[in-house]
Amino acid sequence: MPNIVLFSGSSHHDLSQKVADRLGLELGKVITKKFSNQETCVEIGESVRGEDVYIVQSGCGEINDNLMELLIMINACKIASSSRVTAVIPCFPYARQDKKDKGFFDIAVDNLYAEPAVLQWIRENIPEWKNCIIVSPDAGGAKRVTSIADRLNVDFALIHKERKKANEVDRMVLVGDVKDRVAIMVDDMADTCGTICHAADKLIDAGAVKVYAILTHGIFSGPAISRINSAPFEAVVVTNTIPQEEKMKACPKIQVIDISMILAEAIRRTHNGESVSYLFSHVPL
Amino acid sequence: PSPPLPSTPSPLQEGLNMNHTKGGLVIFTANSHPASRELGKRISERLGVELGKVQVYQEANRETRVQIQESVRGKDVFVIQTMSKDVNTTIMEMLILVYACRTSCARSITGVLPYFPYSKQCKMRKRGSIVSKLIASMMCKAGLTHLITMDLHQKEIQGFFNIPVDNLRASPFLLQYIQEEIPDYRNAVIVAKSPASAKRAQSFAERLRLGIAVIHGEAQDAESDQVDGRHSPPTVKTTGAIHPSMEIPLLIPKEKPPITVVGDVGGRIAIIVDDIIDDVDSFVAAAETLKERGAYKIFVMATHGLLSCDAPRFIEESAIDEVVVTNTIPHELQKLQCPKIKTVDISMILSEAIRRIHNGESMSYLFRNIGVDD
Repeated sequence: MPNIVLFSGSSHHDLSQKVADRLGLELGKVITKKFSNQETCVEIGESVRGEDVYIVQSGCGEINDNLMELLIMINACKIASSSRVTAVIPCFPYARQDKKDKGFFDIAVDNLYAEPAVLQWIRENIPEWKNCIIVSPDAGGAKRVTSIADRLNVDFALIHKERKKANEVDRMVLVGDVKDRVAIMVDDMADTCGTICHAADKLIDAGAVKVYAILTHGIFSGPAISRINSAPFEAVVVTNTIPQEEKMKACPKIQVIDISMILAEAIRRTHNGESVSYLFSHVPL
Repeated sequence: PSPPLPSTPSPLQEGLNMNHTKGGLVIFTANSHPASRELGKRISERLGVELGKVQVYQEANRETRVQIQESVRGKDVFVIQTMSKDVNTTIMEMLILVYACRTSCARSITGVLPYFPYSKQCKMRKRGSIVSKLIASMMCKAGLTHLITMDLHQKEIQGFFNIPVDNLRASPFLLQYIQEEIPDYRNAVIVAKSPASAKRAQSFAERLRLGIAVIHGEAQDAESDQVDGRHSPPTVKTTGAIHPSMEIPLLIPKEKPPITVVGDVGGRIAIIVDDIIDDVDSFVAAAETLKERGAYKIFVMATHGLLSCDAPRFIEESAIDEVVVTNTIPHELQKLQCPKIKTVDISMILSEAIRRIHNGESMSYLFRNIGVDD
């Protein structure tokens, strides 16, 4: 019976360590470095022959470098006769350039959901959650938002962009009533944060008492941090699919939900051949 | 048999006919860095063709985005990509552009990579990965139908591809430089700084009718250590499992002899030739040795001038008189830091290769006078 060997790429060592701790394992020994000509070099430091290998690498930071590092590590493990190699990619890069779904891969894909962790956070951290309203900052996120609203048994609202004339900036229109309510915006990623900051202003103008934002992937590139600091958010909550320590120092409104237990449980279940779909609606303890 | 060639055809004349043949030709460079687009511009000028309109840039979140702004349907696409210091990003830019052309129904996609990346990681080292094989697979998967490159570090890399690969040579240009720019070249000796480059030195020396010298000894670069000997992880010796009389003989560790120069360089010009000049420690050490043995001028000729980190400074302070590289890799910054670095332009052979491939002509003219060992 092969053992689990867990390797970490250099993109998010912290999360990999948390996952390893939950699985009761040490991270596998691997050296990743760059030569002086900036070419990536990977050397696996222990035997993986016949083992079940998992490599944790998130699509964040220097994405092309991290992607190449991941590919080389996978290649090295396969050449070293591992039994199976699984890539654990918390934030999948290039996901917005073309929609990635099961049909694009020749191999098994498990797309896990942060939703159970988000629901748990809301119940534990927002006292007024029973009377809140879940808001989608764009029309595309309606399905995601209604799913959460239904599970909490609360209302939802959405904001959509309306372009009046060719050269005019898009106008944001709120559909739904947020007066005197705590508004919780939910989306999958926070990149430059232009949209959600505008949306927050809109919600306050429409009478919301407090505005939270909960986003799975906190990319926060460009002017994102300064925009959030000057926006009327109570808190901006992201998961740790992407390292957030530096950003939290620059912006006290950012809070982090740990999803390492979801990844660890997915790894454990995959290794034991158990169903992973339990994780789509439950947060492991 | 290829048609007889009267004289070198005028590139501009040929170029004017280019766009009207067989569905047309598009030349792209997928480099986002302006300095890296220089070679592509030169090649397209020689061919008399405008560079294809494409936007390549890095988004705020560091993802690469490529947007083609003209139609490539049914055309022969050539993607010229030079390696910059962000190797992984450059590779990604190229893959995205090639894939975009494939999904836009280009008739053929030829990659022109004068320097093939990760070519030094082409052998198994301990528990590593053969990265150049990985890159080759990625490029073929993205949709590349043909590859033009120059002076591959190991010719066997051609075998990693399941598409045709043309490995052009820069040696005719370097030889021409030696004959035209080094006045007393007939008093020179071609030097190999380690036994690995002896074959290359030999092929240069033959064509110039000069002698060779080979340096052997302690100054080996770090990578050659790990390439020889064990090619896969060592077996763990389990006591009792192996019959004593069947013990596998241990490999005797190599002795590193002190630096020796095989061949005479006293009172001569020394010309060190190699395919890549990257970390210059070994070149500087070789130059020292050659100076001690009596060489009065020392040149280094290499096809690919990677010249990473502090290489220009080390060269400036060393006994090397001149470093001559081709423009397969942009090195303007390094030239500013070190006036000893000179450039040889090889855009002519790349544009000629593109022209011949597009017109379906023979490429053998480009390989005349190239020996087996070059």
